[in-house]
Amino acid sequence: MKLPEIDLYLIAPEIILTAFGFLVLLADVFSPRTEKKGYLGILSLIGIVVAFFYTLPLIGSGKSGFEGMFTADGFALFLKVTFLIIAFITILISMGYAEREGIAFGEYYALILFSTLGMSLMASGTHLITIFLGLETMSIAIYVLAGMLREDRRSVESAFKYFLLGAFATGFLLYGIALLYGATGSLQLKEIATYIASKNLLRNPMLMISLVFLTIGFGFKIASVPFHMWTPDVYEGAPTSITAFMATGVKAAGFAALIRVFFTALPQFRPDWTSIMWLISVATMTVGNIVAISQSNIKRMLAYSSIAHAGYILVAFVAGNDIGISGILFYLMAYAFMNLGAFTCVILLGKKGEENTLITDYSGIGFKYPLLAASMTVFLLSMAGIPPLGGFMAKVYVFSAAVKEKFYWLAILGVLNSAVSVYYYLRVTVLMYFREPQREITGLQFSPASVLALIIALIGTFYMGLFPANVLSFAQKSIVGLM
Amino acid sequence: METIGTILQWLIFLGMAFTSILASVLLITRKNPIHSALFLILNFLCVAVIYLLLYSQFIAIIQVLVYAGAIVMLIVFVIMLLDLEEELRSRLKLFYSKVIGSVLAVLFLFGLIYGLVATSPTGKTGSYTAEKMSANVKAVGEALFNQYLFPFEVVSILLVVAIIGAVILSKRKLS
Amino acid sequence: MFDIVWLVPLFPAIGFILNGLFGRALGKKAVSWIGPSAIGLAFLTSILIFFELLKKPPSERFFERIIFDWVVSGSFHTVIGYQIDPLSILMALVVTGVSFFIHIYSVGYMHEDPGYIRYFAYLNLFVFMMLNLVLANNFLLMFVGWEGVGLCSYLLIGFWFEKDSASNAGKKAFVVNRVGDFGFLLGMFLLFTSLGKHGIWTLDFTEVFANANKLDTVTVTAITILLFIGACGKSAQIPLYVWLPDAMEGPTPVSSLIHAATMVTAGVYMVARCNVLYSMAPLSMAIVAVIGVATAIFTASIGFCQNDIKKVLAYSTISQLGYMFLGVGVGAYSAGIFHLMTHAFFKGLLFLGAGSVMHALSGELDMRKMGALRKKIPITFWTFFIATLAIAGIPGLSGFFSKDEILWQAFSSPHGHFVLWLVAAVAAGMTAFYMFRAVFLTFFGESRVDPHVAHHIHESPRIMTIPLIILAILSVIGGYVGVPHVLGGANHIHEFLAPVVGGSEPGKSHAALSFVAQAWASGGENGGHSAALELLMMVISVVIALIGIGFAYLFYIKNPTLPKLLAERWKGLYRLVYNKYYVDEIYQVLFVNSLKKLGVGLWRGFDDFVIDGTVNGIAILIGWISSVMRRVQTGLVQNYAFSMIVGGLILLVYYLLRTIFY
Repeated sequence: MKLPEIDLYLIAPEIILTAFGFLVLLADVFSPRTEKKGYLGILSLIGIVVAFFYTLPLIGSGKSGFEGMFTADGFALFLKVTFLIIAFITILISMGYAEREGIAFGEYYALILFSTLGMSLMASGTHLITIFLGLETMSIAIYVLAGMLREDRRSVESAFKYFLLGAFATGFLLYGIALLYGATGSLQLKEIATYIASKNLLRNPMLMISLVFLTIGFGFKIASVPFHMWTPDVYEGAPTSITAFMATGVKAAGFAALIRVFFTALPQFRPDWTSIMWLISVATMTVGNIVAISQSNIKRMLAYSSIAHAGYILVAFVAGNDIGISGILFYLMAYAFMNLGAFTCVILLGKKGEENTLITDYSGIGFKYPLLAASMTVFLLSMAGIPPLGGFMAKVYVFSAAVKEKFYWLAILGVLNSAVSVYYYLRVTVLMYFREPQREITGLQFSPASVLALIIALIGTFYMGLFPANVLSFAQKSIVGLM
Repeated sequence: METIGTILQWLIFLGMAFTSILASVLLITRKNPIHSALFLILNFLCVAVIYLLLYSQFIAIIQVLVYAGAIVMLIVFVIMLLDLEEELRSRLKLFYSKVIGSVLAVLFLFGLIYGLVATSPTGKTGSYTAEKMSANVKAVGEALFNQYLFPFEVVSILLVVAIIGAVILSKRKLS
Repeated sequence: MFDIVWLVPLFPAIGFILNGLFGRALGKKAVSWIGPSAIGLAFLTSILIFFELLKKPPSERFFERIIFDWVVSGSFHTVIGYQIDPLSILMALVVTGVSFFIHIYSVGYMHEDPGYIRYFAYLNLFVFMMLNLVLANNFLLMFVGWEGVGLCSYLLIGFWFEKDSASNAGKKAFVVNRVGDFGFLLGMFLLFTSLGKHGIWTLDFTEVFANANKLDTVTVTAITILLFIGACGKSAQIPLYVWLPDAMEGPTPVSSLIHAATMVTAGVYMVARCNVLYSMAPLSMAIVAVIGVATAIFTASIGFCQNDIKKVLAYSTISQLGYMFLGVGVGAYSAGIFHLMTHAFFKGLLFLGAGSVMHALSGELDMRKMGALRKKIPITFWTFFIATLAIAGIPGLSGFFSKDEILWQAFSSPHGHFVLWLVAAVAAGMTAFYMFRAVFLTFFGESRVDPHVAHHIHESPRIMTIPLIILAILSVIGGYVGVPHVLGGANHIHEFLAPVVGGSEPGKSHAALSFVAQAWASGGENGGHSAALELLMMVISVVIALIGIGFAYLFYIKNPTLPKLLAERWKGLYRLVYNKYYVDEIYQVLFVNSLKKLGVGLWRGFDDFVIDGTVNGIAILIGWISSVMRRVQTGLVQNYAFSMIVGGLILLVYYLLRTIFY
């Protein structure tokens, strides 16, 4: 009997995340019940940092293992770095927020770690089973996290909605995987591609159906139209820190899996999926931006904005060239910084029993909380794509990828959408600086961890806008061998 | 002998297939949730038999034990505890949804059927032949602990996460 | 040692961040320390680098430090990198040195101003940007600095934005500079694409200049003229000089630092930096020289009739910038840079002196309301006087050497001409006249000071006078780095700059710049003219300057009624000059009004109706769609699943149709 190949260094980041996840659970159990849970956050942060330092040495090795189930190639590692950054900031913003909102569960942090583990499995999986298990690990943790505000009906409702629809989407995904297996007899991505090429299965209806189902499954996770409807409700109801985590991490992981599966297993179907993705991209951008305009709740607005951003990223996906895919990686990281930053601001503007998430609540805070308002402005402008911020460079790469592949209309529609988006981003800024406060917002408490998160996000946003070349060249090196 | 066996297999297959479809339809059309649950069990059992026809004894047993046994039991339990009947009758009037939904479902079904019928079976013939499958449990075990070791381990974490989630969401409030 | 070049811009950047973001928290006192010391540290670093550079043989005086990749896009690749060579380090020294003293001076001058913290933040930012401009190793970063200093200039001109005149002046400077910047950008693009045709996609100085010989003369001429348009805007040359006099609305140290000593010389620096290109385009050089000399004499004449002391200095600055362009325009790049340096000293000093006078007279600017101040504010007077001597070109002071170098080159260089020399020499005499006019009106004669103001005239505090004294010393000795050979000097600065801008030792030039060296080897700066002639010309120019001073003495000390008489006699001419030749008014009619009319026309006809109509229409439409689509979001899970199914169905149909119809 042959023994399976096991290379523990390859999965060191995952092992560490798991270990710290359990450590947090145990620490919670063995600590006095009444105490505050902040130290668990710190423990989780340590875990993330350790995982980060075990991720870095893997960069450039490009090794795979576990019978072709798992790879630590550049693409996966870039995304893992992104996920770890996202998880780090999320935990930072959670430490004050969880205490304020009375989320007294130590499991909260453990679930964030497990969810991050799921994301990195999605990025590293080269076998549909691994990818699927990663996706489920991530999703189940997120379903629970979304319902963590158990006092708040909206939170419970959002968790339930997300769970139901997520299960629905998972059903499609699994069906797609099953059909893929049926048509090719394999679940290993590269083997699928080789089999399709060798048997010339390009017009195989079964594969086509599987393509549809995979699109639905992943499209749900990245919140693309028409699989996006859950987004605003869930984002609004979930604890804000988790909303931030979902908008950045889940989306990035969804794109990771989407790109991995489509570009590694189904590259021969490029012509088929391109036109559909073109349509989805345009619909996603347009619906996201247009509906965002008439929102009155900032979390809902940011939810629609995140839908729109998925659309922009899909532009690069359609282009599918080197600039496009490295642009997606760049975009995901830049988006992580600016979106986490924006949600941090949203959190900081609230206090116990008073979330202040109406957009009109932002009137006049520019004078009362100048630094908070200035940071929020930076993040919003970055999302709108104003230089010299990260969001601008990200959009430049994404659209130039489309132009390079001669998808002129896509690029034009993308830019037009960007222009539309400026409206609702600026509206918040205008409210903050040019309107009198509608009601008094006082007694905000800025926890040091949140402020640190804010600073990291600001630095990230500026860094990626001012010195994009470093990250971009990292991204470009990362995608070598992916396609 | 051979032909009789084949015919018998076909007959069993057709019987199970149609029963399971019927059970599914009844499952979603019954007003009484308990009835629905029972049809669900029937459906699962039929599928288990189809597994058996495919020489997959292990999966067939798992199907019965886990799905038909544990999961549906749980569902029945929940239904009994919650007593949903009242609510179902009074609140939800789903006529239009039902119509549109069934139209869509039928369309979807046609699409699927067309797709699958138009496909010439191209799947690889795997290494698990009928002969090998006689030692089905062993084959599954070997696959799980060799080739699929990594996913197997991941599943354990996935299950832990699910358990934690269930516990948290049902835990009484602290304080 | 050279590795630390990034520290030079870093210190002001830190100063800007500290003052700009945390200034209010740190308090005024900390800001007063941070602002000047940031610049002081940058200055020290520059000095260290400078001496390190001197240790190397001239041919090796070149160093590049890439900080990081900046823009990478296809074959185009730009870095943020700094370059040290004689030219850039000299500029860095001048910028940081003069800025340092002016920062110190500002601590005293601005002390009472409510915008104190904002002021120092801007000033630090300005120095940071200026250092990027002069230390950049590529056009793009230089352009960033170029725009950055423009922004700071705009912010500082409009520093007292509550005054209408100040904010208008800021706007004017901004708009006029935009015209120039447009030229600069076009020049840069043209350079980029025309080199790109040869497969060289770069904006890096070294690479551009090494490959410049691949370009044909017409292209180079176009590039250099476009770049010069940029220089005209930034360095206030005809026809774009009009913003600089108005820029005097800013605080006086700002006028001194930005609008006299450093920023406005950026154009000269840029031409000197691009000397390889200019040397290839004789026509451009001629244009530069002619515009320079024309500006020099034209604005000098305006200086005759100005009564506002800062306006006099402003026109004088423009005029002196004209000299520098004359220098670089006739190929005497080192002479132009030399004058740039000495001018930074004495003109910086003159403005600070004017500031000190204003300080003493509670903000009075009109020289008709001054007089006889020399006893009351002696330090200010003496330093001001020294600077005046320097600018007038009195032998032995810095201005003499640099101005004379330019004059001589204007005559003797292969690109020079007697007429250029003559005009420049006359302008020098005029400079001497109006500068001494200013001195006599301000410090001599009878006091015409407002009695309310008169009784509390006081010398400025030491924090302001010490920078004056240091700059005065520099104004005296600054010229001795460039004593010409004919006077027995070694002309160190010329030798020092030779590796960059060409000169007497072409063989030792940096490899990338060998092209210049070749160009120069054939010509030579002193070719064909004798030392005796050089001496003669020098004497003539000194005499002209003395005549100018003499007239000033006659008009404003000996016989103070004379100016009025003359003004009466030639009323028309006087009025013409007094009103600055109506250039502003002409521009108003030609450009501003007509553009305004066009603008209003477009606004009413096109904008209001077509654009606004469309935009508002779209906005309303989008708003409507948005609210409709919002209603689709019912909150019911079934509907969401429904939407997914519909989407999936569409995909399914699409894909299956594809399998059928392919």
